[in-house]
Amino acid sequence: MHELVEFAVEKALELGADYAEARFEEKNGTELVMKNGNAEGLGILADRGIGIRVLVDGGMGFASTNVLTKESVAEAVKKAVKLAKAASKVRNEPIRFSEEDFHEVYYEVKMRKDFRDIPPEEKLELLKKVEEEVKGTGVNVPMRFLRYSDWMWHKIIAHSDGGFVESYIPRVSLTYNLVVFENGQMEQAPFVQRAFSGGLELLEKDEPWKWAVKDVMALKRLIYEGQKPPEGKVDLVISPEVAGIAVHESVGHPYEADRIFGREAAQAGESFVKPDMLGERIGSDVVTVIEDPTIPNSWGFYLYDDEGVKARPRYLIRNGIINEFLTNREYAYKLGQRSNASARAINYNREPIVRMANTYLAPGDHSFEELIEDIKLGVYMVSFNEWNIDDRRYQQRYIGREAYLIENGEIKHPVRRPILEITTRALWSSVDAVGKEVEFYPGTCGKGEPGQGVPVWMGGAHARLRDIPLRRP
Amino acid sequence: MFDVNEFILKRAKELGFGDVVVLSYETNRRQVRFANNEITVAKNWHERKIELFVEKEKRVASTTITDLSNENIERILKTLLSNIRGMSPKEDYYGIAEGPFEYKDIPETFDRAIVELDEPNEYVERAINAALEEGAKRVAGVLYTDHNKLYLTTSNGVEAFDEGTGIEISVRAFIGDLESGHGTNSVRVLKKFDPESAGRKAGEIARLARNPEQGPEGKFDVIFDPLAFANLLSYMSFMTSAYAAEAGFSFLVNKLGQKVAADGVTIKDIGNLPNGYGTRKFDDEGVPTRETTIIENGTFRTFLLNTSLARKYGTETTANAGLVMPHAWNIVLEPGDYSKEELFSEVKKGIYITNVWYTRFQNYVAGDFSTIPRDGIFLVENGELKPIRNIRVSDNLQRILENIVALGKELYHIHWWEVNTPVSTPYVLVKDVGITRATK
Repeated sequence: MHELVEFAVEKALELGADYAEARFEEKNGTELVMKNGNAEGLGILADRGIGIRVLVDGGMGFASTNVLTKESVAEAVKKAVKLAKAASKVRNEPIRFSEEDFHEVYYEVKMRKDFRDIPPEEKLELLKKVEEEVKGTGVNVPMRFLRYSDWMWHKIIAHSDGGFVESYIPRVSLTYNLVVFENGQMEQAPFVQRAFSGGLELLEKDEPWKWAVKDVMALKRLIYEGQKPPEGKVDLVISPEVAGIAVHESVGHPYEADRIFGREAAQAGESFVKPDMLGERIGSDVVTVIEDPTIPNSWGFYLYDDEGVKARPRYLIRNGIINEFLTNREYAYKLGQRSNASARAINYNREPIVRMANTYLAPGDHSFEELIEDIKLGVYMVSFNEWNIDDRRYQQRYIGREAYLIENGEIKHPVRRPILEITTRALWSSVDAVGKEVEFYPGTCGKGEPGQGVPVWMGGAHARLRDIPLRRP
Repeated sequence: MFDVNEFILKRAKELGFGDVVVLSYETNRRQVRFANNEITVAKNWHERKIELFVEKEKRVASTTITDLSNENIERILKTLLSNIRGMSPKEDYYGIAEGPFEYKDIPETFDRAIVELDEPNEYVERAINAALEEGAKRVAGVLYTDHNKLYLTTSNGVEAFDEGTGIEISVRAFIGDLESGHGTNSVRVLKKFDPESAGRKAGEIARLARNPEQGPEGKFDVIFDPLAFANLLSYMSFMTSAYAAEAGFSFLVNKLGQKVAADGVTIKDIGNLPNGYGTRKFDDEGVPTRETTIIENGTFRTFLLNTSLARKYGTETTANAGLVMPHAWNIVLEPGDYSKEELFSEVKKGIYITNVWYTRFQNYVAGDFSTIPRDGIFLVENGELKPIRNIRVSDNLQRILENIVALGKELYHIHWWEVNTPVSTPYVLVKDVGITRATK
């Protein structure tokens, strides 16, 4: 396959491309679904193909094919070059890429328990285990949707600027939706996921059934003991899970340079952040937000991005100050910078665009007890269901699923659906203390057209927000 | 592709599989993305793939085959066979449809002019220019052309072919950071394509939205533009699938025969809708697509079904397979009798929402959700429009359907990034919609 990838790059240059990149991707894996105790069937994933992206006279063209012959690849290259030429005529400013150092690299994530060697019925046992443990709680859970998936993601990327990257990254995931019905009331934990880059041993060690049981018990307790949350100005402690969604939505997304420059305007939106806001204060001193693709076994893991640039941790906010945007080569050039390796594509038939990987609120110096000990009246939001944010990433809302009242420094009874509806600046300016321990939660980040759902981790430490206007449904 | 289909079917039967469905696609898709009045990237996808579904003693499996060589097909069939053996049976599996069927041509689903279209960039320029003429400063969007061939072969006597085309554009126009508008146009035949209308609408809304003020919160009568209401109905379409209901993702669970919407509300799925972006001649089992009334005059009549789920519930398929999960083709909210002007004049004090995005559910079975208006939002007072910003619709899907008080008489067919399942809807007036906003 190396030969075909190199052939595509050479062919594109021959046809007049100023820049060419060819990316072979192959995914092989298994999916299993269990619905209300019924094994819904087995899905086998086996997909591969090549995508070619070129720049010609400042216009960008992309074409892909899953017919892996020289003729078919040559045809795709021809199309990409032709499309780029035509696109260049409808541009005011030619697209240019930043200068980077390139490497010839190979890397892989090792599996201790290789899921390729394990028959599907053994993987189904994981779902059965979730079923058994959930049933073992004695709580009435009439709707149970469980999904297991694994896949090996193999990529070979060649660039006309000299980069050549080959990688093998395995990914395993378990997702559930559980509907608890007790005492004539219903609560739901939908699309909860546990996921890693690596072997099956990671999922087994994580024990997703324990997460499911924890959710079910929390929802049951919410039904029987849940009370109205306090309204008006209170203190709020958010868990690593809630901090994770908040940093993903209100820090990661608005710092994506393609949004800042309007490229995603018609779909995923623009950003309240402008290029001249680098160095501006957006949060309190204790807020530092890091984006790091290199965390071992993380769901958003990679070491080189799809433009061949070496990945590193990116400090989006450092002590409350906007420090860095997420960039690819196109937008790094516009900003007069080097790329920080944020170009990702979900498959061979998609273009690499600016994406997050693993975004988290960096730890502070407070224990959990210290975070809550001087709160007179507040709420501890442990997990969330409904959430959304506007397309400039400024007005957002998170509704608690599992949440508790804090009174005089103590965690009390559960509260129903406390609503945090707040602006980005108010959210991060209200944080006065951050916990010591960091946790991560997986998710699928949507962006691009056609859509590219990329695996990401979101997380961080606990955070305490002072004087927050909390709402009730 | 039928020769490949037949080879797969023959080998699958020889290996001892029971029900087999082989669905082959040959697709040509072209995309032009644009932003800041210029093209950001142009793309082309040529793809041949086969979706394969097999069953053996109630054990089911599926895969997609992209390498169509005989050796690879043999390898995949043998992998499926060895993997399926140890699996638990799907106890509630009841088979696929018995063919053969007869198919009718559906008007306005194929146009050779789209297949032969060499260069679509002029349509992009026309849309951008229309928006700029209305006063927009920056225009972004996407244009697609589609040419699809579909070959279906099943172990129950189906051999069916469909060929379709499409062209569509989605345009978002901006004046400042806070003033924007959106328009779309999705059609199956070139002569009906009107990219200017999408650009003009986007530009016009952006112009009207200038200098917005912070919006209010509370309960308001809301006029939903077709673009906005299509988003809610597109999310709802997923919930009309019997599979989604079983899995706990639908507010329609246990509501068959019950009132779930206002009297005048009838919602259908029309698989054979002429010029519909989701239209196909047959579903994934080969059953000819048709019209299915999901909600009739406010009463919930049926979930969308495939053959297996229909047999499980003792009824007939609605021709919406998806082999695992039935799904809608084109959702249609039947129009009412209000002109757009009459609809707006009904509202003494309310809100006009031109678009929404990021619809998310707190609880699928309850139907509680929120969604964010984007692009122009307006206070409507005695026929006057006053631009506002930064509000959120926070309500319940069933309550929204129950509170529909007026429907426009013209239908708009909407399909774009945020409206995945195509929806035809009029302007809709809903009373007492929950509106919230951030207060810090």
